[in-house]
Amino acid sequence: MFHWLEKHPFFFAVAVFVTIAFAGLIEIVPNFAQASQPVVGTKPYTTLELAGRHIYISNNCMGCHSQLVRPFKSETDRYGHYSLSGEYAYDRPFLWGSKRTGPDLMRVGNYRTTDWHENHMKDPAAVVPGSIMPAYRWMFKKDADIDTAYAEQVTVNKVFKTPYNVEIPMVDGSKATVKMAATLDEAHADALEEAKMIAADMKDQDVKDAVEAGKIPEIVALIAYLNSLK
Amino acid sequence: MNKLMVFGVVFVLALLGLTWVVAGGQVGDDIVNKLAMLGAVATATIAIFVALKYIRQMQTDKAGGKLAEENWDGIGEYKNELPFGWAIIFFGLVIWAIWYFLAGYPVNAYSQIGEYNEAVAEHDAKFEAQYANMDEETLKEMGGSIFIVQCAPCHGLQADGIDGKAANLNARLEEKTIKHVIQNGSNNQLLGMEMPMPDRNGLMNANTGALITDAEIDAVTKFVAGGMKGTEGADVFAGTCAACHGADGKGMDMVAPSIADFNPTLIANVLKHGKKGAIGAMPAFNNLTEAQVKALGAYVTSLSK
Repeated sequence: MFHWLEKHPFFFAVAVFVTIAFAGLIEIVPNFAQASQPVVGTKPYTTLELAGRHIYISNNCMGCHSQLVRPFKSETDRYGHYSLSGEYAYDRPFLWGSKRTGPDLMRVGNYRTTDWHENHMKDPAAVVPGSIMPAYRWMFKKDADIDTAYAEQVTVNKVFKTPYNVEIPMVDGSKATVKMAATLDEAHADALEEAKMIAADMKDQDVKDAVEAGKIPEIVALIAYLNSLK
Repeated sequence: MNKLMVFGVVFVLALLGLTWVVAGGQVGDDIVNKLAMLGAVATATIAIFVALKYIRQMQTDKAGGKLAEENWDGIGEYKNELPFGWAIIFFGLVIWAIWYFLAGYPVNAYSQIGEYNEAVAEHDAKFEAQYANMDEETLKEMGGSIFIVQCAPCHGLQADGIDGKAANLNARLEEKTIKHVIQNGSNNQLLGMEMPMPDRNGLMNANTGALITDAEIDAVTKFVAGGMKGTEGADVFAGTCAACHGADGKGMDMVAPSIADFNPTLIANVLKHGKKGAIGAMPAFNNLTEAQVKALGAYVTSLSK
């Protein structure tokens, strides 16, 4: 076979390519497959959180905020444990960002609360003196798009087997289940249920009234998403 | 001495001459210059005579030795002995490769996380050595700088809570908070493990023998918020609150936290468990080290003094 290859330069080149590619694959694929497994405690997003994630993306939050804590003492002191690749298992796409104009948001759910986000999104400079972040007041009026969020949930569940409605192991040994509704109406009802819990911690009366009336303002969905970043 | 040897000697001298010119026509007293010159002499001499040896060998050598059986279109190969020095190096490298593959690389390979762990361990050791026994001033100073990073985003740089967005830490309790706690009870684990405080339906006034009334709540709220001074509300406090919080409001171990002042234990427990009350929720800050928690305790306690 080798004699034959030596006499046919084209096939020889192909064989060299296949050999080197194979060597590369057996080195890369197992490592990649292992590292991209969800870390224990990583949950897929709920409908409301996904809607918030869409708002995060459409307002280009990742233009100024990263979601990646690097393994440096200065960063882990400020933001918490450095990021692991498995923590992004349910991020499609991941929102690592490329530049930190504002702080990293990878674990913002650990050290900021619903009412802080509310104050901050309304008037950032009132909470953080000298902040150059713009205010996002329209989020208190515009309603979140639950339909698209539910569509994404159904899609990632079908295509990527994202584990909805099944038990997922948590860090403390318990199991958690993230619900995906069976119908769109049910998804709306679930999202509203979650929104009510967020709105209970908020101060803005218009938002509270809107949620009471069965609407979900963007800010509620966004806060649900930010609180889920842990 | 043949023509080739003469040529070699002349060439060496020419090289050395050139070196001499380039060096500026002098060696001077500098030992490094002398050594460099000596090195140049040695290098030129050895190079030239090794080259000459092989040139002569090419001129005079005849093909000899035993031919190997393989023959490629008339091109044959001699069966030469394996050069001894080469063999030593080759087998040495084989042994080194096995070591490197099994132990050298796996044990000594660079890893980003490894470097991070080393950096953290080094920093922690340095930190612990430097701040093993902090006096009150150092604690407050450290607490102040941690406060700016971790606490100020909600409590404000002045620790005033930014217009009610978070607790005002310049006073132990504000009226709004006191009233909320009396009406709704509290289970914030401010001592780490005490009994939860009941809501107003569980608060008896020992003076009247009945549940606490709205008027009494208002009075005692003003009394506590005013720093336990004056007489108005003092009787309600003695009748209702003092049983757990103590006559002076400083709390009791395992029973109730101090509502007269901040103390490091209380702050440490708020940082550990977080808090939820009249204003909103505060997340737990479990990222802080023991020394940092102590420092924050000293700093926040000092704010209201």
